[in-house]
Amino acid sequence: MIALCANSVFAIDDAELDSLYRQFQMEEVEVTARALTKDIIVPQALKGIELERLNALSVADALRYFSGIQLKDYGGVGGIKTINVRSMGSQHTAVYYNGIQLGNAQNGQVDLGRFSLDNMDEIQLYNGQKSDIFQSAREFGAAGNVYLTTRKPYFKEDERVHVRAKMRFGSFALANPSVGVDIKLIDNLSMTLDVEYVYSDGKYPFRYKRVFPSGETAYDTTAIRQNGDINAVRTELGLHHYYRTTGFWRLHAYNYYSERGIPGAIVNNVWRNGERLWDRNTFVQGQWQDEWFGRWSTRLLAKYANDFTHYKNYDERLLPADNKYLQQEVYLSLANKVQVFNWWDLSVAYDYQYNTLRKDELVSGVTDERFARHSHWLSAATAFNIKEYLRLQASVLMTQIINQKSEIKNSPKVTPGLFLSFRPYPAIDLSINAFYKQSYRYPTFNDLYYTDLGNANLRPELARQHSVELAYKITNDKSSVANDFGYEIAAAVSYYYNRVTDKIIAYPKGQQFRWTMLNLGTVKINGVDAHADMSFYLPLRFVLRTRLNYTYQTAIDVTNPSDSYYGHQIPYIPWHSGSGVLGLEWQSKRGDRYGFNYSFVYVGERYSQQENIVYNYVQPWYTHDISLYGEWQLRADQNKQPIWLKANVEINNLLGQDFEVIQNYPMPKQNVRCTVAIRY
Amino acid sequence: MHRCNKILTFVLCSLLFLGCRGDEVIYPTIGTHITDEVREGGLYVLCEGNMGSNKARLDYINLEDGEYYSNWYGAQNPTQLKELGDVGNDLVAYGNRLYAVINCSHKVEVMDAKARHIGQVDIPNCRYLAFHGDKMYVSAYVGSVADADLLGSVFEVDTASLEITREVKVGHQPDELVVVDDKLYVVNSGGYLINRYDSTMSVIDLHSFTELRKVVVGLNPTRLRVDDQKHLWVCCQGNYNQTAPQVVVLQNEAVIQRILTPCSNISIQGSTAYVIDNEQNTLNTISTIDYQLSTFDFQQSPDFENPYGLLATADALYITDAKNYVSSGVLHCFSYDGREHWCARTGDIPGHLCRVTGAYDIHGDTVPEPPTKSPYITRVYEYLPAMGQFVNELPKYEEGDDAQRMCRKCEQAIANNAGGMVSLGGWGGYITFGFDHAVENKDGRDIQILGNAFYMAGSTEYGSSEPGIVLVSCDDNKNGLPDDAWYELKGCLYDDPKTQHHVSRTYTRESDTVQNTFHQHPYYPEWIKTDEYTLTGALLPSQSVVIGGQNIQRILDFGYVDNKPNSDIEGTSFDISWAVDADGHPVSLSTIDFVRVYNAVDEILETTGELSTEVAGAIDLHCNKKLVYPTIIN
Repeated sequence: MIALCANSVFAIDDAELDSLYRQFQMEEVEVTARALTKDIIVPQALKGIELERLNALSVADALRYFSGIQLKDYGGVGGIKTINVRSMGSQHTAVYYNGIQLGNAQNGQVDLGRFSLDNMDEIQLYNGQKSDIFQSAREFGAAGNVYLTTRKPYFKEDERVHVRAKMRFGSFALANPSVGVDIKLIDNLSMTLDVEYVYSDGKYPFRYKRVFPSGETAYDTTAIRQNGDINAVRTELGLHHYYRTTGFWRLHAYNYYSERGIPGAIVNNVWRNGERLWDRNTFVQGQWQDEWFGRWSTRLLAKYANDFTHYKNYDERLLPADNKYLQQEVYLSLANKVQVFNWWDLSVAYDYQYNTLRKDELVSGVTDERFARHSHWLSAATAFNIKEYLRLQASVLMTQIINQKSEIKNSPKVTPGLFLSFRPYPAIDLSINAFYKQSYRYPTFNDLYYTDLGNANLRPELARQHSVELAYKITNDKSSVANDFGYEIAAAVSYYYNRVTDKIIAYPKGQQFRWTMLNLGTVKINGVDAHADMSFYLPLRFVLRTRLNYTYQTAIDVTNPSDSYYGHQIPYIPWHSGSGVLGLEWQSKRGDRYGFNYSFVYVGERYSQQENIVYNYVQPWYTHDISLYGEWQLRADQNKQPIWLKANVEINNLLGQDFEVIQNYPMPKQNVRCTVAIRY
Repeated sequence: MHRCNKILTFVLCSLLFLGCRGDEVIYPTIGTHITDEVREGGLYVLCEGNMGSNKARLDYINLEDGEYYSNWYGAQNPTQLKELGDVGNDLVAYGNRLYAVINCSHKVEVMDAKARHIGQVDIPNCRYLAFHGDKMYVSAYVGSVADADLLGSVFEVDTASLEITREVKVGHQPDELVVVDDKLYVVNSGGYLINRYDSTMSVIDLHSFTELRKVVVGLNPTRLRVDDQKHLWVCCQGNYNQTAPQVVVLQNEAVIQRILTPCSNISIQGSTAYVIDNEQNTLNTISTIDYQLSTFDFQQSPDFENPYGLLATADALYITDAKNYVSSGVLHCFSYDGREHWCARTGDIPGHLCRVTGAYDIHGDTVPEPPTKSPYITRVYEYLPAMGQFVNELPKYEEGDDAQRMCRKCEQAIANNAGGMVSLGGWGGYITFGFDHAVENKDGRDIQILGNAFYMAGSTEYGSSEPGIVLVSCDDNKNGLPDDAWYELKGCLYDDPKTQHHVSRTYTRESDTVQNTFHQHPYYPEWIKTDEYTLTGALLPSQSVVIGGQNIQRILDFGYVDNKPNSDIEGTSFDISWAVDADGHPVSLSTIDFVRVYNAVDEILETTGELSTEVAGAIDLHCNKKLVYPTIIN
């Protein structure tokens, strides 16, 4: 519980206390607070209140504040947003929603723009894998892992119901109401319900300007983005039951429905596109976990997902398209962990998944085409602690993917992982962490079977990661210092070398929804990530918080020396990127809070295609975002459940930079969002 | 706000050592000399660019002076909003104009002979062009009104007013079209209807502009050409499965011949049809007389990755290689005896070629703004290495290469920031190169010359240093050739008593016997016809030492190429003010046009062979353009 105490040193107000309790409950029940089972390498994370302070609408926006991440953003509320961890490609990144991976067997990409922050409790990024051996087999399989954890209900004594209601308005006709209700049904059994609606017309102005080398304007035009509207409803229902002190089960149902326009690439003579997309993503997942004899832990996961996509092209200049895709997924996982000695744990897990895709494409004449895939994962892992100095974990994963209709005989692939954390001086929170890991990214249904573009002979692509990290944390407890000054600093620097072989590149081609497959071959990635979180507790109840991230990476194509792009940086990977957040908060004596937040995101120069030539050069972009917020306790009566009111005004891209993340997909200029929330 | 932006950005960027965003400058037009061969007129190359990338690009080659201009359209029309457009699909010169179909920009771009914008015709999903009289005919995958059966149209456009005059509905996804007498023929590919491709050719009466009939030609017809006997040649792609691709010949709308061969592109010249075999990635020929199919006889296999564009003219055969479709392609020029004359890097997917009579120069008065100076060298004039282990390898000598061709190979390796490397061989071997402009002698260093030197780990005193001396020259006689006086840029060892000046040495083919196990090939430059040649220059004292069993060199302070790593910009840069004449007297030069680098050391190491200066490009440090350093792979 050392880490937990450090977190809670300054937990002096209700909200912090609230999160402390939540965490307490979680830690206690889920991992029974034994050091051995904890992550030996601390992930990058953003938690509840921190998340609220950021100018972020979706999970994708929040991930910009992590180091080592590249975000692909096609612009607007409805534009696809995917991430790429340490240049290995978005399909090497697994995204977990409350512990179970979100799948997309069709294109392997998870659009993180669809996941709201409204009911998000924590976002964590693990490079390599979660360095906790008690996990499902599949979790050992990806190269980068993003864990999204939604709010868990916490009730103080005498509390039965919590309600959160939020209304957000903003530029481009953004309307985003949401309601969350937590109900304590009986002791330790509680329910959460969340409903959110998002609308935006997506009509933002954008500008294209080019100048002569002399500075004279060649052209300068401003237009309004068309067909970028979105209508989306998200509904989630959760049941949580904690029993004894060791066990719990949880059921989570999720439904997301959206209709949106795909605004498309802005090219010469084309200022409007006619593509529309309807999505319905539904899943039900359950988790049960308990512990026996104080040494044996078991976790069972199950999920059924049903995702329907309907894509239609209304652009009369193009051939009409009317395509429907239905994906289904069944997933089961059983993980066991046994503590052999206090210093030695073993775990074994087996996962099974069945995916199907049904395709109906009007114009090409494909009707009721079906694809299926069985996947098996078997993992074994072990963890050792050598005193307080060294913690070691080793895991091995066997994967077998059996694609129906594929001629390739898929022999099982075995991939190892080795993680260690060394603390030379247990009294000081300084650690040297390192890992080596192999992982495969398997071809998706689109890669294999996409009409015209698919290639049934694709091999899985292999990523080998080597990483070394130096992490340091220092805390100065405010209460023990007479001058009322305290601080908390956590910083880490890591160097990594990755090699991706047989790389499959998904390339956006005209229609955002489609990709063309490219076997880029071999990529060598060298990078340095640095991040620092600092909080300073100042006199007069001021708190100053900063978060800094910087990434330098080279990701070069080393496939074939005779290629014109041999040795060049791969597309859309900047050499430099970084972000900074600076927040100042003041708390009144009765507990009301006022704050100011500034954030800066920088993505350096990069190239839009494989060849690093002037015609493919893309300039750096950077945005400055600011926000002002206040939180007021409306009912200060100690005996009654408090009511909080929160208001927030954000200005994003404050200086109105005209930029593109992906070429020909302009991003919004300056825009504003206002949020009013009430919490009971 | 702007000022505020600047200050804030400056502070943040300098804190993070990061680059700032500047104005988006128009895409540069880059001229490269590709051949000394003189032919008539010019050649336009329309590079398609990938869908959604807006990278359709029109390049131009002046065949009379051998200059290749990438992005010629950009130079002629820098104010066109979002440039040429998205996905070029056809290019035709007709009358005194040039017409380009830009498929995903849904337009036909109309230009004068020099590719200056005249106007555009908006036609949805347009594909190919044909001309007759004062009319242009455009095939399009969709009509002006959407068709429930997904039929395409042919539009008639008045070339004077650029107005659409008539439209006729044809088959599915009509592609190429030709006019013969008073009839228009268009092939209906049905290319988007997978598993149910079209197989017809529509016959349209030009007077009534109605479809007379559909003639069945073969599955998935995409190309349609006419030979001098008015026979129609159709390339049918088949269904990429059971039905094989074929070339179909029609006479009076009746099929007279079917030739089974892959045929992604076709061009007819005289009595031969040249056909790209996109399965074997080679070129086939079909006689228009006896329909005999044979393989084109290349003197040296061109090793196409994806042959794509094709144009057979009276004096040359042009074939493009689209490579992997997402990087720049290559245009090859062959003569009909199968010999390759030259090749040039193009834009993405060079697909459409058009030979024109006009030979134009970018420096003409038509250009609204002078072209941007390239900071990189653009031209290699001379390359004469001294005998050595990398001679004939870096760059690679191939049978038939002459000195000119070796210079072109050097250009491919190191000009325009290509990122490659050239070896100068033993002592005295040299290379002469230049920029597309004269380099000014300003304060401080003027030119950076890249090599492959590196420091020994943990040291900046020792490393791999293979120093070469730099000479500069000004084109005093204005003939564009490096035949003027040369001046040495004085390096730190110039006055060293151990440095020998005015040394000369003769290399003979006879003496070419010392070969090490790694390089078993002639060390004597094979393209040199004579059996001996003499090189002159200064000889620097050896800097080699053995540390830890390794042969390394003491790094010189300043003034030599391939002596310090490229990351040390100052250490690899030269000041024109260092120039001295043959007697060592300082010379004041305001500009220079040519740079020569020669290997100034004479040493053969046991382990790695002779010390040989490598040159990996050069940069004018005063060019007001952001520099991108090439990655040198050793």
